[in-house]
Amino acid sequence: MFFLYPMYEGFVLTVYDDDALLPIRESPTLSGATVAKLPLGTELEINDRRSQEMVNAGSDDLITDQWFQVEGTGVDGSLLRGWVTEARIRVREEDASGQPLAGTVRPRLGEGADPLTKIHAEPNETSSVVGQLEQRATVTITQSAELEVWFLVQPADDMNSGAAAGWAPSSYLRVSEDASRGWVSGATSGEFTTKFIQRMVDDRFFGPALRTTLLLLVLIIPVQLVLALAMALVIHARIRLNSGFLYVFALPIGMSDLAAGILFFSIFTGNGLLNSALDGLGIIDGPFAFLTAETTGWILVAIVAAEVWRATSIMMVIIVAGLQAIPDETLEAAELFGANYFQRVRHIILPLLKPSIQVALILRTILALQVFAVVVALSGGDVVTVLANESFRQYADLRNTNVASAYALFILLLSVASAVFYLRSVRSEAEVRPT
Amino acid sequence: MAEILVERVAKSFGDKVAVKDVNLTIKDREFMVLLGPSGCGKTTLLRAIAGLGMADAGRIAIGGRDVTYQPPGQRNISMVFQSYAIFPHMTVRDNIGFGLKMNKVDKSTIRKRIEEAAELLHIEELLDRRPSAMSGGQRQRVAVARAIAMQAKVLLMDEPLSNLDALLRLEMRAELKRLLADVDATTVYVTHDQIEALSMGDRVAVMRDGEIQQCDAPNTVYESPTNRFVGSFIGNPPMNFLEGNIKRSNGQTAVEVAKHEFSLTPETQSLIHDLPGNKVTLGIRAENMETLLQPTPETVAVNVEVVEPLGAQNLLTVSVGGHRLKVSTHPTLEVATDQVLHIRFPANQIRWIDPTTNNVLYTP
Ligand SMILES: Nc1ncnc2c1ncn2[C@@H]1O[C@H](COP(=O)(O)OP(=O)(O)O)[C@@H](O)[C@H]1O
Ligand SMILES: [Mg+2]
Repeated sequence: MFFLYPMYEGFVLTVYDDDALLPIRESPTLSGATVAKLPLGTELEINDRRSQEMVNAGSDDLITDQWFQVEGTGVDGSLLRGWVTEARIRVREEDASGQPLAGTVRPRLGEGADPLTKIHAEPNETSSVVGQLEQRATVTITQSAELEVWFLVQPADDMNSGAAAGWAPSSYLRVSEDASRGWVSGATSGEFTTKFIQRMVDDRFFGPALRTTLLLLVLIIPVQLVLALAMALVIHARIRLNSGFLYVFALPIGMSDLAAGILFFSIFTGNGLLNSALDGLGIIDGPFAFLTAETTGWILVAIVAAEVWRATSIMMVIIVAGLQAIPDETLEAAELFGANYFQRVRHIILPLLKPSIQVALILRTILALQVFAVVVALSGGDVVTVLANESFRQYADLRNTNVASAYALFILLLSVASAVFYLRSVRSEAEVRPT
Repeated sequence: MAEILVERVAKSFGDKVAVKDVNLTIKDREFMVLLGPSGCGKTTLLRAIAGLGMADAGRIAIGGRDVTYQPPGQRNISMVFQSYAIFPHMTVRDNIGFGLKMNKVDKSTIRKRIEEAAELLHIEELLDRRPSAMSGGQRQRVAVARAIAMQAKVLLMDEPLSNLDALLRLEMRAELKRLLADVDATTVYVTHDQIEALSMGDRVAVMRDGEIQQCDAPNTVYESPTNRFVGSFIGNPPMNFLEGNIKRSNGQTAVEVAKHEFSLTPETQSLIHDLPGNKVTLGIRAENMETLLQPTPETVAVNVEVVEPLGAQNLLTVSVGGHRLKVSTHPTLEVATDQVLHIRFPANQIRWIDPTTNNVLYTP
């Protein structure tokens, strides 16, 4: 779980748009059945409004109604207690803090208007009616409640005409002054989408980043494999000073990739070590700018050098471990039966090292696919860019978590693909295990 | 001709002296066994002959050629390692043919030799399998086949049977002996198992603490050990040793053990007479004592402590004057624990040993 969940989350970020759609419902409550889901920005006609218990308190676009709980004498002479919208009551008396205490029922003006005002059991229009009040009847106000307004909406554009109407809470809508039109401004429901992947692929840095990443892979890995093997064999040869060699070879493991990048930057930079050396040897006159937008080739060279310096020993350590697993007697037998050193390497050591080499290659390739800090340190992160750098740029500079995630997932995919490739091509027969 | 000459070879690991100034000559086509307890330097000596792990001092010659500074691959030797050291990634065929391939033998010869070796060891049907799934016995055969296929002048074997279970070991011992008789190589065979050594070797070199104690034909090593160690290491049960007091009186020397006086033969008289001190050790093998039910003037009375019927013989542990002896008797002789028996020590079976040097003074 601990290992899988972040990957699942990354996958979701990449292919799932969290707030793409707003569900509209059959009735103005969150429990109402969903009638349709409208994409963000859909133009709406608004046909009705209702007050509902608050579910989105504090939202930006929230529209609210005030309701009062009142007590008074009903039309039938009985004592009534129930809820009525604030619009029907004129407040006549307030306490020091402005809390309403008493008022009268507003008269309804106009021809044929119902002179009576309904009192509800609950503070919303859908609840049952407990009685009615005469206009101008005096009531005491015992409680007040703030309610969220829901609108009955229908898509207004032609394409969606005839689409079902449904209720949506005000907090996800932007509504016109007269509350007759509006558009979907927020969403609660997601949908699967390829748009982030599309955006990644269409990104103008995607191509260069992928190309550079793969190019570095091709340049670095073979060099490192050969070097790591040679270093491991030197250490395994048990010549004097070999622990010294081990420390020298392994030292760069202790350095972070960013530090390595900075180190090589200081070597390749205008007044850096390399320029001083070349100048001192009289090979160049004055410093040569290696790390500029015009000399991306040199930047690549510097990156390869830094990566080789920094990460070869990781492969070496794995290979040394593999070498140590080969029994001494096996190598002595080969020697005794007439194999010289190179024949022993070719016929005994390399075949028995296959599993270790495989592990080293997989590990190193995966690390090379993630190359980042060294590139940033040496190129500033835009002249030469790599996939991991793009992921970072999307996340940090462009604040686009989804596209950043798409890049990350793409690197993961390449890693898995390379592991499968190595497992198949450098396949070590299942039986091959040092005994 | 592949005589092996080992001259003053020494090897230490740090402070630990593994082989001390060893001299050994192994004749052409001889089967030499290096025998000794674990840690006595057998492997180290064998490896020095092979050229694995340079000796600190000394000279080694094979077939008249000084090979002291030659790498193992050029010594015209082949070897069976104690761990077998089979190449796990190669088929049995490639394992057997490896040395030949490295020595650039032509393909058809290699194939022929592989098949011959496989046939000798009855592993023809394993040829195309890999060794990882094989039993210890099968691996052992592969290792021997690989060594034999080389047809080298010298064949070295380091405890080739020690990793096998008891039954298989017995079977392979005979098979290996038959097979090596047909191989025209000078063989050096390392073992800590004295029965293996006695049954297989033309000569046995008994080692202890990096030194060769005795190097002789198996029956000589058994019958006439040169010192107490060889006598105690070889033979099952080991040789019995008794402490005796020397009695010197008017030119006559006698030895008294547990109140019994041993009269000495003229040859031993003077030897023991000249020993400094009053002690001498007497060695005798379990099967060389005579057990009698009735005393005679020559017998010593002993008390039977343990009776171990071993089928072909009964092995008795008896005590006499504070000494414990192992005596083997014929199974038809009925003896019970705590019974008193009478034992005769035939003069020609007694080895007299100097207790200070532990060397055998006289063997009849
Ligand atoms: N590579 C080594 N390093 C240190 N000590 C060793 C090494 N090989 C052997 N020895 C020591 O040398 C002595 C002789 O070893 P070895 O020749 O292997 O004995 P054996 O084969 O008779 O059992 C032992 O005490 C052993 O501990
Ligand atoms: Mg050994």
